[in-house]
Amino acid sequence: MTTLPLLPLAVIVGCAAVTIRLVKRRARSAATRRFFESPAAAAGLGLLLFFVLLAVLAPLVAPYRPSAQLDIVGLQNRPPSWRFLLGTDLFSRDVFSRLAYGARVSLGIGVLATLVSVTLGAAVGAAAGYFGRATDAVLMRLVDVGLAVPKIFIVLVAVALGRPLGPVPLAVLLGLTGWFATSRLVRAEVLSLSERDFVEAARALGARPWRIIARHVLPGATAVLMVSAALSIANMMLLEAGLSFIGAGVQPPVPSWGNMIADARDLLATAPWTSLFPGLAITGVVLALHAVSDGLREALDPQARGGASPLAAGERSQERRLGGWVARR
Amino acid sequence: MAAWLLRRLVAALAIVFAVVTLVFFAIHLVPGTPFLPSGERALDPSVEAALRVRFGLDRPLGAQYVSYLGELARGDLGESFSQQRPAARALEEAIPNTVVLAATALAIDLLLGLAIGALQAAYARRRLDTLLTHTTLFVYSLPTFWLGLVLLLVFGQELHWFPVGGVVDPVVHQALSPVGRLFDRLRHLALPALTLGLVGAAGTARFQRAALLEALSQGFVKTARAKGLSESRVLLGHALRNALLPTITLMGLALPFLLTGSVVIETVFAWPGMGKLAADAVLSRDYPVVTATTLAATVLVVGGSLVADILYAVADPRVRRERPR
Amino acid sequence: MRRLALLALILAAACTSRGGGSCRGEYCGTVVFAGIGQPASLLPPATDHILDRDIYDQIFLKLADVGPDLNTVGDSGFQPQLADRWTWRDSLTLAFHLDPRARWQDGRPVTAGDVAFTFAAYTDSVLDAADRINLVRIASVTAPDSATAVFRFRQRYPEMFYDAVYYLRILPAHLLRDLPRAQWRSAAFGRNPIGDGPYRFIRWDPGQSLELVADSSFFLGRPHVRRLIWRFAGDLSVAVTQLIAGEADAIEVLVSPANIERARQAPRLALYPYPGSVFTFVSLNLRARDGSLPHPLFGDPAVRRALVAATDRVRMTQSIYGKTAQVPPAPIPEAWTALWLSDLQVPAYDTALAARELERRGWRLGSDGVRQRGGRKLAFTLAVPSTSPPRRQYAQLIQEELRAVGVAVTIDAMDNVTMQARLHSGAYDAAIESWANDPTPSSSVPQMWMRGGGSNFGHYSNPAFDQWARAATRARSAAAATEAWRAAFGVLAEDAPVIVLSAPDNVAAIDRRVTNVRLRPDSYWAYVRNWRIAPSQFNARDQLVR
Repeated sequence: MTTLPLLPLAVIVGCAAVTIRLVKRRARSAATRRFFESPAAAAGLGLLLFFVLLAVLAPLVAPYRPSAQLDIVGLQNRPPSWRFLLGTDLFSRDVFSRLAYGARVSLGIGVLATLVSVTLGAAVGAAAGYFGRATDAVLMRLVDVGLAVPKIFIVLVAVALGRPLGPVPLAVLLGLTGWFATSRLVRAEVLSLSERDFVEAARALGARPWRIIARHVLPGATAVLMVSAALSIANMMLLEAGLSFIGAGVQPPVPSWGNMIADARDLLATAPWTSLFPGLAITGVVLALHAVSDGLREALDPQARGGASPLAAGERSQERRLGGWVARR
Repeated sequence: MAAWLLRRLVAALAIVFAVVTLVFFAIHLVPGTPFLPSGERALDPSVEAALRVRFGLDRPLGAQYVSYLGELARGDLGESFSQQRPAARALEEAIPNTVVLAATALAIDLLLGLAIGALQAAYARRRLDTLLTHTTLFVYSLPTFWLGLVLLLVFGQELHWFPVGGVVDPVVHQALSPVGRLFDRLRHLALPALTLGLVGAAGTARFQRAALLEALSQGFVKTARAKGLSESRVLLGHALRNALLPTITLMGLALPFLLTGSVVIETVFAWPGMGKLAADAVLSRDYPVVTATTLAATVLVVGGSLVADILYAVADPRVRRERPR
Repeated sequence: MRRLALLALILAAACTSRGGGSCRGEYCGTVVFAGIGQPASLLPPATDHILDRDIYDQIFLKLADVGPDLNTVGDSGFQPQLADRWTWRDSLTLAFHLDPRARWQDGRPVTAGDVAFTFAAYTDSVLDAADRINLVRIASVTAPDSATAVFRFRQRYPEMFYDAVYYLRILPAHLLRDLPRAQWRSAAFGRNPIGDGPYRFIRWDPGQSLELVADSSFFLGRPHVRRLIWRFAGDLSVAVTQLIAGEADAIEVLVSPANIERARQAPRLALYPYPGSVFTFVSLNLRARDGSLPHPLFGDPAVRRALVAATDRVRMTQSIYGKTAQVPPAPIPEAWTALWLSDLQVPAYDTALAARELERRGWRLGSDGVRQRGGRKLAFTLAVPSTSPPRRQYAQLIQEELRAVGVAVTIDAMDNVTMQARLHSGAYDAAIESWANDPTPSSSVPQMWMRGGGSNFGHYSNPAFDQWARAATRARSAAAATEAWRAAFGVLAEDAPVIVLSAPDNVAAIDRRVTNVRLRPDSYWAYVRNWRIAPSQFNARDQLVR
């Protein structure tokens, strides 16, 4: 398609803004209302929605195919214009189209990796916190081992032993290496929740352990999980961008915001748009995710919970607070 | 205290041991390895069989594991394919450079982050605070390699204030006086350390602000205020000290961030450290070097968090007592 | 600000310098070369990488070297180096008399025994030096006494003298005799060489820099520039940035129009255009990875011709180089002008023809857009060095163009040392190679395209080609030689073992304070020992001495 992308773009922006408005107005729970009280959180959510829609609707919005080299002699490194909204790159590919399709890859990897890591982390953390004793000890030692190796090295080892991974295997690998911190957080929550009355009651009624965990315990940890998930997506996206930049992540010609910056590395001064927009896109999404997670933390406000002892409460809140800040590992 | 320390040490060693085991299995279960980088020509089956015997790869996995541990204990981390020398030598040269970079970045991170966080807490909810909040959020969201590229372009390529790469100037360094050499090293260190430090400082500042604000609202601070102490004394004296504890833990967690960041930053600035070694080795499918750097990174992380735990224990006596399980 | 900083550095050095002090007089000066990638080894027959050659040509001498006119027929214009004179004892016997002043850098005299030893090494099949095939017409090299080396040839041909002197960098027999040839490629001598040339090896910081210092007792005259330093950059862009920032003084090829423009705008750099001696091409491996014949895809000449037709080489070269490069009609550099003027044609760009040929050979388009035949996809890996931005660009351009005809290309970027290893071991499908050439086709062509050639990594072999090539090297006149080369390249074009991409111009950039600069396309830094830096032009680096 070679139609001007402005109209579909405007539609997306409009959709995002309208959605935010609608959700805000129809907000029922106190938590949701609290969330939207913060303009940063609302704006972040809006920005996020914009990029998600851009990614999902990329084939409709992007005027060109992302790897189409339109005119390698005449249309190289063109600055932004009406025809090429964000300019063209070294290979005369439309930067805007690549940005839109790159959103699919970068966001997709972030979300998939987070799905894997949050699922695994919640399961392991819940098991450790609920069953305690031996299970807890073994699982937490496993978590210690996992936390000891920086994720990026595991991917580097995988690539060095084989060949660069496709986007989906890369996302799964990142997810498999990223669940450790989440499990600690969930464990802390579950530990406190396990001693509550309704759990005792459920146990007395003879409910099976996993049922208790799934229906009674884990929902209480949702707040922590949501905050952790938002930050995890940001972290995974940054990791993927770095890997693609050094050539060990997404391979050309599949566009990813990271490898777009790598391609543009020599053109920083002569054709700045080729690296500026992917860089801003990454920063924008990460920023939005941080703002949203801040808002979630404020809205879901876990500080009000009681605990078995002041020390334990302090520990948990510290764990929670640190867990919230342990983003860029 | 001693018992606790011993327990932590044993735990740390156990973790390193576990990672070593995992790495061993990763290498030995991938087809074609361990003595050929995958992608190389497949050997004639008879030649491959002969090589396997020669390198002892036909022995049971357990026996190979034991000799692998022995090699590690002796410091033999394998042979680098692309550099044609032991991986341990390459690591030896690279690790000090990364440690210097990480330490400097950590210093910038701490000093700048604490200062900004304290500033924000002092001017809480006023204009300066809002401005700093947005700025730190933005900087914290930047991809480090992009920030590095921009700084390199502006201050290195265009303004020529700093060199465009390397750790020393290979031409003049030998001939300089000690002062001159230090200055040369600092000039080369400035941009990469600043890149990592700025992003880390943004995160630390965000954390510090929240921690300080919480500390400021607590009981002992109200007491101090009631006693008539000035606001700045309250801030610096009591609140800061109490907010320092989680900061120590945060610093321990900063090490993985710095090591991860070093992989891309060292590539951008051609800084010959562990990160660049690993990144270059990946391109050459030189997996002995990649696994060696992974092990080194693990040891550094485990060591760092051990140090952080010790510092925390020193600072907070509550930790050292036995706690009910 | 940078100058201020450097000045502060120097002041600090001057105030508290520890010994050595500042260099005065004419015998000072440091030239910093911006090197790209890493050297593999400084032992001449053990490497064919151009960076290594640039460095070891300052450390080792040949018997004689081509003159600035690059004449390779007979011995006119050749400059004496290790040999101070030579005589033809008969039509097949050439005797060199070695200069009695010639010394190895450890003090021992250079003898004819070293020459004989060197010949044995270069022709040893275990070592498999790249130039081995060019020495086949020399029957033997003997040393009747310590000052005379006698070359016996198998036949008469115009470039006998050139073959005798051009390839052999004379090696110290007393230091290398005991080292088994199988270990030469990874030998420690290659990281710490001792030669007899104008410069001595001082140190090599892997990945960082390498330093040579002038040998003040060099028998042909002390070099004027005291120190040569190579800074190693990860790729061309970084090297050019260092050059423009003043951290390096010289680079032999700027390559792209953008770099040439940047260098032109830098006031301290002077540009030196000279005839291009490089060509770039995609080498197709005609053998399968496990060594058996033939390659499942590239064993079929029709497929190879289709790949050539499917790539728009003219536009790709224009895209990357602008006007500073041409697409040659055969793998020939700009410097071999006679062949450009012949009727050799650049193969046509014709995607329809390519598609037809592939269909004809049974490669049908699959549902994923990739052609397949009998369950095998028309997909291959293209190896490219990460140090070369133009070749990386070619890779992505080729990938997209071949995708349009149903061929799936995966790009594999690696450092130049690994790439050299892969090429030598044959563990690749296709690779983008770039070669700097000797002054005459008769030395490069056999090496690269004849059966058994040391750089014939794709294992191309065609007896007709070999016949024409041999005829060309034996031809009595330049016209006859050109005719024979043209016929040989005609055979090569028909076989299409490579996709020829470009032959770029050469533009070097060197700091203006360096004078008496002359560059030779076949050996960029051949005349470095004549370069001068006037004391009034010394910068801070020139005056620092260890």
